[in-house]
Amino acid sequence: MHAIRSYTQSISAIMALVMVLSSMWAIPASANIVGTGELLTEQRADIDREALMGMLEREDVKTTLARMGVGEQEVRDRIQSLTPSELADFKQQLAEAPTGEGVVGIIVLFLLVFIITDMLCATDIFPFINCIR
Amino acid sequence: MTSVQLSPARLYLVALLGVILSGCASQPKWPANYEATTVTEVPFHPQEQYQCGPASLAMMLNAQDVTATPDELVGKVYLPERKGALQVEMVAAARQYGMLVYPLEPKLNAVLQELKAGNPVLVLQNLRFDWWPQWHFAVAIGYDSQKEALILHSGTEKNYHLPASAFMATWDRSERWARVILPPDQIPATAEPLAFLMAAHDLETTQQSDAAKSAYKAAAKAWPNQPAALLGLGNLAYQQNQWAEAEKYYRTMTERFPDISAGWNNLAEALSRQGKNEESSAMLNKAQKAKEGSKQPGNG
Repeated sequence: MHAIRSYTQSISAIMALVMVLSSMWAIPASANIVGTGELLTEQRADIDREALMGMLEREDVKTTLARMGVGEQEVRDRIQSLTPSELADFKQQLAEAPTGEGVVGIIVLFLLVFIITDMLCATDIFPFINCIR
Repeated sequence: MTSVQLSPARLYLVALLGVILSGCASQPKWPANYEATTVTEVPFHPQEQYQCGPASLAMMLNAQDVTATPDELVGKVYLPERKGALQVEMVAAARQYGMLVYPLEPKLNAVLQELKAGNPVLVLQNLRFDWWPQWHFAVAIGYDSQKEALILHSGTEKNYHLPASAFMATWDRSERWARVILPPDQIPATAEPLAFLMAAHDLETTQQSDAAKSAYKAAAKAWPNQPAALLGLGNLAYQQNQWAEAEKYYRTMTERFPDISAGWNNLAEALSRQGKNEESSAMLNKAQKAKEGSKQPGNG
């Protein structure tokens, strides 16, 4: 037991050194140029987000969400915090739906899946949701 | 507890709905605005055994006056083990010839619109079933609105007329994969700014710098409101150590899009590479400000 404790000190010293070195390593990387792809990903996410926001204006979506007891402002905050990959995922689901059918369902389901899993503490996407457990 | 009673009538209704809804997805309707018959001249290469990939790609390249034969493409895209070619390799091979590969929206309209503009379309079909697929590449070269058919160079068939309904059935099973292959300074008829810029960026990342440059230039001209075109041009110059040239593009970007921090940030880098350290740090400050500006709640 004592032997282990004596090791931990030197190990933690090495770990600390590694941490310091690796964080120094990261400084020149972050000061580098922003890649074209990064800007494009960001812009794509903005457009997707706006499109999703626009869908909230639909009466049928509004009423369905209201019936489920979800406030509009809450949903807007949720959309704001979705990552580009989650947004892309949503768009994919929407594209696969038959035209004109089930759009409301997909929007509501998509948002609710994240909200409900958040409440069950399975994910932690929305920091303002307190989980049940 | 009340149990839900499913009457036979209701069950039939559900079954009927299922049939109708699943039918919706693949029931093609010939879209308006495509009345005439259009065929683009595309040199034909009949496929050798299983080799629809190399043959189709050769036709797509030949249509843009690129000399390529199916034989020379076999080594680039054909996998003997799979008796076929993969989409990614087809796309990558086209880029090696300096061509821009643009992914079409998964809609019949998009294919027809490109054909109307005279751009042949590379399509992937699944000729069999989802659970026992037979993948097949073909080149759509036109359409016949009267017969509601697409005209394809497909396999060993030249100018093959395929009814739109049959095309949609086979195309649906490939998740409607379709690509236009064009010289990078030509913008496809259905091109969306961001999707085109992403295709241009694919050229940038695959070391096709000249092709990427002409694609970005074309985009900057066609869509002056797209910052990524200018950033891309700047980044290309930067990667080639042409600091002054990079500075020029970044500067234009910051003038036109002062809210985007990437422009200021990269401008600062290009300046510091030229030893203009004072100006560089001033630009870094502006980059920081732009970043903070875009993070404000309710913005974006």
